[in-house]
Amino acid sequence: MNLSGAAAIAGIGATEFSKDSGRSELRLASEAVHAALTDAGLAPSDVDGLVTFTMDGNAEIAVARELGIGDLRFFSRVHYGGGAAAATVQQAAMAVATGTADVVVAYRAFNERSGQRFGQVSSAAAQQVNTSGVDNSFTYPMGIATPAATVAMLARRYLHDYGASSEDFGRIAVIDRKHAATNPNAWFHGKPITLDDHQASRWIAEPLRLLDCCQESDGGVALVIVSADRARELPHPPAVVRAAAQGSGPDQYVMTSYYRHDLAALPEMNVVGRQLWQQAGIAPSDVDVAVLYDHFTPYVLLQLEELGFCRRGEAKDFIADGRLELDGSLPLNPHGGQLGEAYIHGMNGIAEAVRQLRGTAANQIPDAHTVLVTAGTGVPTSGLILTSS
Amino acid sequence: MTETERIEAAAERIAALGASAPVSGRDPVNQAMVNNWTEALGDDNPVYTDHDFAESSVHGGLVAPPAMAQVWTMRGLHGTRADDDPLGAMMAVLDEEGFTSVVATNSTQTYHRYLRPGEHVAASTRLEDVTGPKRTALGEGWFVTTRTTWSAGAEVVAEMTFRVLKFRPSARAAAPEGARIIDAPEYADGVLRPVISRDTEFFWQGTKVGELRIQRWGETLRHPPGPVDPGGDLDAKPDYVVARGTGKVYSYVVHHHPKVPGKRLPFVVALVELDEGVRVLGELIDADPADVHIGLPVQAVFLRVDDELTLPAWEVAT
Amino acid sequence: MTNVEIGTTLPPMMIHATPTFVISTALATRDFQDVHHDRDAAVARGSKDIFLNILTDNGLVQRFVTDWAGPEALVRSIDISLGVPCYANDTLTFTGTVVDRVTVDGEQRYVIEVTGKGSLGDHVRGTVHIARPEVTL
Repeated sequence: MNLSGAAAIAGIGATEFSKDSGRSELRLASEAVHAALTDAGLAPSDVDGLVTFTMDGNAEIAVARELGIGDLRFFSRVHYGGGAAAATVQQAAMAVATGTADVVVAYRAFNERSGQRFGQVSSAAAQQVNTSGVDNSFTYPMGIATPAATVAMLARRYLHDYGASSEDFGRIAVIDRKHAATNPNAWFHGKPITLDDHQASRWIAEPLRLLDCCQESDGGVALVIVSADRARELPHPPAVVRAAAQGSGPDQYVMTSYYRHDLAALPEMNVVGRQLWQQAGIAPSDVDVAVLYDHFTPYVLLQLEELGFCRRGEAKDFIADGRLELDGSLPLNPHGGQLGEAYIHGMNGIAEAVRQLRGTAANQIPDAHTVLVTAGTGVPTSGLILTSS
Repeated sequence: MTETERIEAAAERIAALGASAPVSGRDPVNQAMVNNWTEALGDDNPVYTDHDFAESSVHGGLVAPPAMAQVWTMRGLHGTRADDDPLGAMMAVLDEEGFTSVVATNSTQTYHRYLRPGEHVAASTRLEDVTGPKRTALGEGWFVTTRTTWSAGAEVVAEMTFRVLKFRPSARAAAPEGARIIDAPEYADGVLRPVISRDTEFFWQGTKVGELRIQRWGETLRHPPGPVDPGGDLDAKPDYVVARGTGKVYSYVVHHHPKVPGKRLPFVVALVELDEGVRVLGELIDADPADVHIGLPVQAVFLRVDDELTLPAWEVAT
Repeated sequence: MTNVEIGTTLPPMMIHATPTFVISTALATRDFQDVHHDRDAAVARGSKDIFLNILTDNGLVQRFVTDWAGPEALVRSIDISLGVPCYANDTLTFTGTVVDRVTVDGEQRYVIEVTGKGSLGDHVRGTVHIARPEVTL
């Protein structure tokens, strides 16, 4: 059995993206799921499967209760923070491909800015009584206690090993913000930045500056997954799941895989990439749009390398001469990414990929037929290749 | 040239010299040394010591234990290496580079025939292979492989491939002298406390007494520690070495924002590669962030929070 | 014992590696390295205590096999690799299994795998080839 082409994303939905939603996370989840179903031309009663992140605060049954979803035949959660994003679609695709469920909604909703902020120190994460808590005992008490700090350790070594600079990180932020500036749904709509702005922004965790770190957001996103055949009967052109993969590497930790021979690498994304290219039967050069997870700029450079767009250490050269611009050969995050649009743990990037394939994006790339989407980096992660047919 | 390049070049040069001239044993194969050996090892095989039994045995007379082949040509208490001894030459090169300790790791001996008392044997050795640097439980080191041939007259009677690890010593059995334990009550206020499991308890017990304990599985060091041998042997049990506490900054972060419980902003956290080869994370205290760089030599220091918790940390090496 | 089944296990052998044992075997093998007889020197060099030398391991592996195979078994090769050290006062337990039968130069040989395990884990692992001549009375 082959998953490639078996399922499609038929509906996308989201709340507004804000800094203070003024309502509960469950309300956000319900709104997003409802919007996605409406977009797909389906009703809550059609839903028989729900998937979300382990980290999501809204139980599947709570969402189902609120929306009047009756019998659920499939519910699943995916672990490792933002690394779960694309994997929720993979779970849903496997469920519909095997007939386990017919209509599966993947969702993520949180008050990540007005409620518990991921950018702050989480004593709960540090002191969970399980293997992750034991792992974290070798970082949190020593002062590596925020996502930015975990990334900064790797970023410093990357700069050292490959002669890259803070400006190279900044170029990613500038592109994301440039794209967000012309996306009305983006928080930073109308607010582009320059490389000088980036260089002038304050240190968060050296070598990361404020503008290397994505924003914090309130909001929710949901995606409706059905079989590819059923999707073709629904209102919008389907975004076919051509490839879906998860990946974890040797000696893997959550954000702190500091003990591998090569620190300045993301082997877990390499595991994802190899599967994606193989399943889809395409090469990096076939990708029309890249939606790469961008909670921190350095990891966009490393992803380009791990996914095979360029060789190790060469991302700084690869991104030169406008390659990632909307009219470049590999447009990056046309919605503005998480740095520019919103931080919805990668799910808003999947929605953008669907819009690009439908031809309805704010910053539409002409003839976008093949879109690559990746999930959270530094953690066990996942990825998708979505196509228009 | 880097250290590795120097060592590899020396290995190539020594290997190219080929086999040393044969060195004769001090004594011929003799009953007294056989008796000492069998007595010490508790080997009561009568073909080595019982004249009558040996006469009627397959050997037709007394023989020496095959495993004594190497013993006959050991240099002894005050012996010196021959000038053309390749192992000695390679050891000298590694001593010069700071790999001053040695331990044998492998021996493959082939015995072409049993030796009899009265025979004279001589050994000739050539350098076969030098591999490194490798991270080992004992410290960073190089594996040196030699090939020795024992002859009685012109006849080759035994051969051996012998491997030693030449390493920078890192283990320390007693508490390190002068390990700095700093009372750091300011860390007590809200510091994030470790979740300690049975697998990591020894590490935190160590920091309390000023020891940076690194888990050891056979020859392999592992940090952070865990419950299973990295080689997959579920019967293996770990112990630990006490690291010397010296190493170099492999990467580091200068943390500015947000506030972290128990830390004063800004602070530096360094991922340090210990001389023993494993990486350990800790705050680098009393350092000007502008002076910190990858490769900076540091040493371990211990921040005593309270009776329950002492954190490992670093300071710039003096 | 003219025929030995593959898979036969050897009777275990226990060795109490007292300081006396460690030192007397080191000297009997003419190994005068201080780490095998001088505790202070061994500690200074980074060890916990004096420890067994490799020539003794070689001899113990040979003894373990011939204790089982009989005095007239012919030892053709001993291949050992060392794992964790055997410090003074540890106890080693040798176990072994006949794993193969091979013919070399027209001579039938048994291949025996041996492990000597101490309190820290596997101290020595080895492979011994022996021949068993037909004994005619």
